[in-house]
Amino acid sequence: MSRTYAGILAAETGAELTQSFRAPEFLLPTLALPVAFYMMFGVLMSRGGGAATYLLATYGIFAVMGPSLFGFGVGVAGERERGWLELKRAAPAPASTFIGAKLGATIAFAAMALMPIYAAAAFMGGVELPKTVWLTLFLVHLSAVFPFSLIGLSIGFSFSTNGAVAIANIVFLSFAVIGGLWFPATFFPGWMVAISNALPSFHLAEIALTVVDAPGDRIAGFHATVVAGMTLACAALAGWTWSRQR
Amino acid sequence: MMSAMDTHTDPRQLPAVIEAQDLSRRFGDTVALDAVDLHVPAGQICTLLGRNGAGKTTFIRCALGLLPPTTGSVKVLGEPAGSMAARLGTGVMLQDTDLSEALTAREQLALFSSYYSDPADIDAVIEEADIGNFADTRYKKLSGGQKRRVQFAVALIGKPRLLFLDEPTTGLDTDARRAVWDNVRRLAARGTSIILTTHYLEEADALADRIVVLAQGRVIADDTAAAIRARTGGAIIRCRTSITPEQALALPGVRAADRHGRLLTLSCEHAPTTLRALLDADPDVDDLEVTKPTLEQAFTALSAVTTEDAS
Repeated sequence: MSRTYAGILAAETGAELTQSFRAPEFLLPTLALPVAFYMMFGVLMSRGGGAATYLLATYGIFAVMGPSLFGFGVGVAGERERGWLELKRAAPAPASTFIGAKLGATIAFAAMALMPIYAAAAFMGGVELPKTVWLTLFLVHLSAVFPFSLIGLSIGFSFSTNGAVAIANIVFLSFAVIGGLWFPATFFPGWMVAISNALPSFHLAEIALTVVDAPGDRIAGFHATVVAGMTLACAALAGWTWSRQR
Repeated sequence: MMSAMDTHTDPRQLPAVIEAQDLSRRFGDTVALDAVDLHVPAGQICTLLGRNGAGKTTFIRCALGLLPPTTGSVKVLGEPAGSMAARLGTGVMLQDTDLSEALTAREQLALFSSYYSDPADIDAVIEEADIGNFADTRYKKLSGGQKRRVQFAVALIGKPRLLFLDEPTTGLDTDARRAVWDNVRRLAARGTSIILTTHYLEEADALADRIVVLAQGRVIADDTAAAIRARTGGAIIRCRTSITPEQALALPGVRAADRHGRLLTLSCEHAPTTLRALLDADPDVDDLEVTKPTLEQAFTALSAVTTEDAS
């Protein structure tokens, strides 16, 4: 086989997926936790109605956050600490295939985390949505990979493995709770709403809630603009932490 | 190009695999590399020898483009260090660099082979590095020595013209170390240029065409192993005798004398001169042995001189 960009990207992505599948401590929580939570709060405790649909929108964002933050954050920190990244920098591996492969693997895991939630919603939660809405919802959920992965990358480049685990967990839980992914942000006191508005998880959830036409006034365009701006800021942060590696 | 008939061959005219000019690297106030000029022609096994902290690894990291120099420059295979062209022709085995724990040796080799236009055959590399017994075991489960051998295999997968081996035998037992040496010699015989760092003097002596001794970031010697030994000159004389070290120091050409029981060790400038006087002084000399100084002794002398110069 000779060197082609696609060939390197395929080899890197394959290696990423193999590594992740052999790490049950990564795989189980990221894939099983979101659907377990959704089953409990969205299906069993809500007994149909709007809650199953509402929480489908927000738990989808939650499900994507795990592989993005932990795969990139903790994963990159470990690879950096072990010198694996340095060896790749010394080898003729382009930096973009490394990021591209990780992104591809993360999107694959995000999709794997989403499917059981969608199945639980459709077959047990009584959620009925037109096909185009399902598809739009899927794309909105997957788009959350980008800002969260960039945040994960920044964490991975800035902290040791142990530090990255701790920081990623803090980000993960605060983005979930304060971002309104577990309970609707409308229940929050005013000061908490102010913090919610600063988190990408909140705005991504609002877009997803618009897609499923959940009750409440939302302007999807506004939230999409905020998410785009935050993603650019995260990209700048990731680029800066990357450049500090040298 | 130069003809083979040219007898006025200046090594600086040969195509270089490494060309470092006035290369310095500081970390804060610490000078890790201090104005290093190094020209390594193709086809050599060049050993960078020095104690920990002498600047060996910093030099390698600069040559790989992993660390930008503070001043000066370094070219690898005629290309700027760290450029894609330089990386494509280079194989690397670094210190403190682990491969992916979850992948097997074969999987890591497959991944790295995708980076090259004309990689080596994976099975051939597995055989060459003698890792067949554990090529399909996950890296995490291998012993330290097995891991080093897998790293060595990964360094070979791109059919490198230039191989960087940073302390390749650290943590290996004697057999594994000799296996690496055999491999290095075989690669060199095939025309691969090799830059090897070590603090094992035995290793430098056994492998290198050329030894570059680094101390405090500076090149303090750059020559063949034999020449470096000769640089400190002289010989070591050992014998059983009743002569005391004080008496021995008065003999012609003796630089140092040391005695354990009846065993006297003399460091001298010219063995025959000292021997003649020694045999005259004590006709009952027994167990006489004359040796060249080991690289260790030569190296200690060189380092000591530099430390004195610096202070």
